[in-house]
Amino acid sequence: MELFFQSVINSFIQGGFFALWAVGLVLVFGVMGVVNFAHGELVMVGAYTVWVLHSQYGIGYIPALCIAVLLVMFIGLLMERFLFRPKQGDPLGGLINSIGVLFILQVAALVVGGTGPAKQVAPPFPGTLIIQEFLRIPNQRLFSIAVAVAALLLLWFFLTKTKLGWSLRAVALDREAAALQGININRTSMIAIGVSGALAGLAGALMAPISNIYPTMGHNVIITAFIVTIVGGIGSLSGAVLAAVLYAFLHTFVTAYFSGTIATMCGLLIMVLVLIVKPTGIMGQKVSE
Amino acid sequence: MSKVQLSQIAGIVAMLVGLMVLPNYLKYHHQDFLIFLTINILVVVSYRLMTLTGEWSLIHIVMMGVGAYTSALLSKNLGFPVWISMPMAGVGAGLIAALLCFPLFRMTQFYFLIGSFAVGEAIRLAWIFFVKPFGGSSGVSSIPPPELFAIDFMDPIPYFYLVLAVVTVCLVILYRIENSRIGLTLHAVHWKSSLSESVGVNTWKYRSLAFIVASVFVGIAGALKVHYLGNVTPHQFGVGTMVFVLIWVIVGGYNTFFGPVLGAIVLSILDESLRDLEEYRPAIYGALLIAAIMFMPKGLESVPPSIRAWFKAPATPPPG
Amino acid sequence: MALLEIKNVSKRFGGLAALSNVSFAVEQGEIRGLIGPNGAGKSTMFKNIAGFSQPSEGEIVFSGQTISGYRPHTIADLGIVRTFQETTLFQELTVFENALVGCHLQANTNIFSAVLGLDKHKQSRARDKALEVLEFMGLSQRIDQLASELPLGSQRSLAIAIALTSGPKLMLMDEPFAGMNPEETRQMMELTRKVNKSGVTIVLVEHDMKAVMGLCEYITVLNFGTLLTEGTPEEIRHNEAVIEAYLGGSRKH
Ligand SMILES: Nc1ncnc2c1ncn2[C@@H]1O[C@H](COP(=O)(O)OP(=O)(O)OP(=O)(O)O)[C@@H](O)[C@H]1O
Ligand SMILES: [Mg+2]
Repeated sequence: MELFFQSVINSFIQGGFFALWAVGLVLVFGVMGVVNFAHGELVMVGAYTVWVLHSQYGIGYIPALCIAVLLVMFIGLLMERFLFRPKQGDPLGGLINSIGVLFILQVAALVVGGTGPAKQVAPPFPGTLIIQEFLRIPNQRLFSIAVAVAALLLLWFFLTKTKLGWSLRAVALDREAAALQGININRTSMIAIGVSGALAGLAGALMAPISNIYPTMGHNVIITAFIVTIVGGIGSLSGAVLAAVLYAFLHTFVTAYFSGTIATMCGLLIMVLVLIVKPTGIMGQKVSE
Repeated sequence: MSKVQLSQIAGIVAMLVGLMVLPNYLKYHHQDFLIFLTINILVVVSYRLMTLTGEWSLIHIVMMGVGAYTSALLSKNLGFPVWISMPMAGVGAGLIAALLCFPLFRMTQFYFLIGSFAVGEAIRLAWIFFVKPFGGSSGVSSIPPPELFAIDFMDPIPYFYLVLAVVTVCLVILYRIENSRIGLTLHAVHWKSSLSESVGVNTWKYRSLAFIVASVFVGIAGALKVHYLGNVTPHQFGVGTMVFVLIWVIVGGYNTFFGPVLGAIVLSILDESLRDLEEYRPAIYGALLIAAIMFMPKGLESVPPSIRAWFKAPATPPPG
Repeated sequence: MALLEIKNVSKRFGGLAALSNVSFAVEQGEIRGLIGPNGAGKSTMFKNIAGFSQPSEGEIVFSGQTISGYRPHTIADLGIVRTFQETTLFQELTVFENALVGCHLQANTNIFSAVLGLDKHKQSRARDKALEVLEFMGLSQRIDQLASELPLGSQRSLAIAIALTSGPKLMLMDEPFAGMNPEETRQMMELTRKVNKSGVTIVLVEHDMKAVMGLCEYITVLNFGTLLTEGTPEEIRHNEAVIEAYLGGSRKH
């Protein structure tokens, strides 16, 4: 029973991270049509930034987090301007470019952190919230999930209630029509990747104190983000969030009761199943034949 | 047989002879390098057959693993002679590929790319998870080398000859497939899938065929690798390795048969000469990849068009 | 028995009925016109016949065999071939190779004989067929040209040649005259007649009324997805409902 309740809590926290990872990927794919394979590496850079600034240079955790967000956002913008924009209308080109960035960022992490064991950041919010003896939630995780949910709510507000957000959704729906209506595609792309990068940086910074930090940590991120994106429906943000929570439950429980390998395998198989049965995902729109 | 073909054949024979003497003048680890390079050429050329249909898969290297595991387990656990287990590796990979056609080819384009990635990862995780018989994370080791008379196949030179022979035969077959009607139909499926269907081409069948044949050959490549290395682990066939295959194909250029070969050779040699950089090498690769896509989207093969023209197969001439 | 029978076919896209309860029959040897304003459902009808999409309701019968639900390549195998509204060719291949792809059905080869070169006989038959069809369509001078380099008229001829190489009994032509000047149209009409004479039944979708009236003995009119009327060119020309449909504007305008 204890394991069960603990797993429920863990699922929600995991779900928050999964959603943060996936939403950024969905946004860039939706607006720019590019599959950003380096998305996991952007998260990794966020985590490394916190490790360097906070653990190595003693800068406060919150300022380090903010810098991580800005830095990753900046990297995203650079990618858009110099790698994705020239390859507009060539999805394979954009994808390959992002793989190039993936390698470069991994090596950059190696240069900054050196080889050796995975890095860790001492939690800036130590202590554990204990509810009814059997439920224990480390404060650090509470902080992470709170910030993650806040960020997602902010994103939702931005996309549905602001004019800029509306133009983003318009481009995602129909690029040509949006361009005809006078929406500046390049600017919209920059906003999309800026937001995506900021979310990735934030996810990395939030992960830093609660997980291992190493150059290839993005691998797991990108696999999870793919699963969540496909299951939720490519281009559907609410679908991604829903799928993130569902998948987090599946993953946490299968990991708790069986093994992590089986958990990921289940996720991959579900994703293939969704691709076969309903390629538009659980929340995706039905596209015409 | 026309003059062009004769000179081509002469060139290829000269190249083969050159390759046969070459390892005798190389240091040990360069001999190693030559073996892996030759195997990788089979990997990229078989991958090209797949890309002819316009689909980019991320499962190719996992199919190589299927071949590797098949041959390793057959020879080590069941005592099959390597001469049998190697072709069985091709058969095994082909069979698995045939099964995977049903889910995979309900998808196309981006969905196929991601779907093939997911299926490949799932297979790889199965190798990690099922310790019996796959040996889990540490894989299978002490895999026997082939045996023939008194030849020592642990020694790189004889093994290189074996690899060279097998790869040459495979390349000839793949070349003939590409230049047959089947190759033409694969092109057609790629360029105008619905037009092909409307004249009676079963596009599903051709996509599957390309995938299965590509898997058979890459499975054989996997077997060649595993009996030289003596061990096989799931990590040898990760998406990282797949990305290198993609890089070779794309940097080399995927419009002709020899583009990917060129890519594999040039980049492997470059990689080898950057050996001192150790783990920083991927960054160079990454930068090269970006440079190639940005400035040379048609690949290395587009640089010296004369070389390309020379290699290009004689166009199917109408009779008379 | 009619060659092609459309029985109560409906096709819905979400709420929109692109076809509702359409029935008609095409006889062996005809050139049948299928006309109607933009968005009337003509292309949708072709897609359903050729198996690129399935009717929501109803049945399509070809030579006495129900074909609705079959995949396009199977239907092609049975003898129905479709040309596309947009000119579709294998732009990257030569004229000859284009025709050769169409010969697929005659020279369907397996991979072993292809590698070992055991299918020489089949291949030479396919070549002969391709050459014969190209000759028939007046393209034999251009065999080695890339399809993308052909002028519009020849591109259309090639599209028909590709269709012909598969040896069809019924050819569905979607707007073959679109964008052509009068001279090109005249030549294309000649070719269409010639194809028909060679034993291929034709269903023709076309907005160029002069061409349709000139070619077809019988015309079927669709409007808003329903069958409006059928008749000879003379009857159609004077039919009030048809004039109304064309003048009354269509969904798109
Ligand atoms: N895949 C689809 N999804 C949704 N609606 C469709 C689809 N295909 C066609 N339609 C709709 O069905 C109707 C009929 O279209 P269709 O293309 O058959 O018309 P058409 O008679 O060929 O017109 P045109 O003369 O312009 O070619 C149109 O309103 C069209 O918008
Ligand atoms: Mg139409």
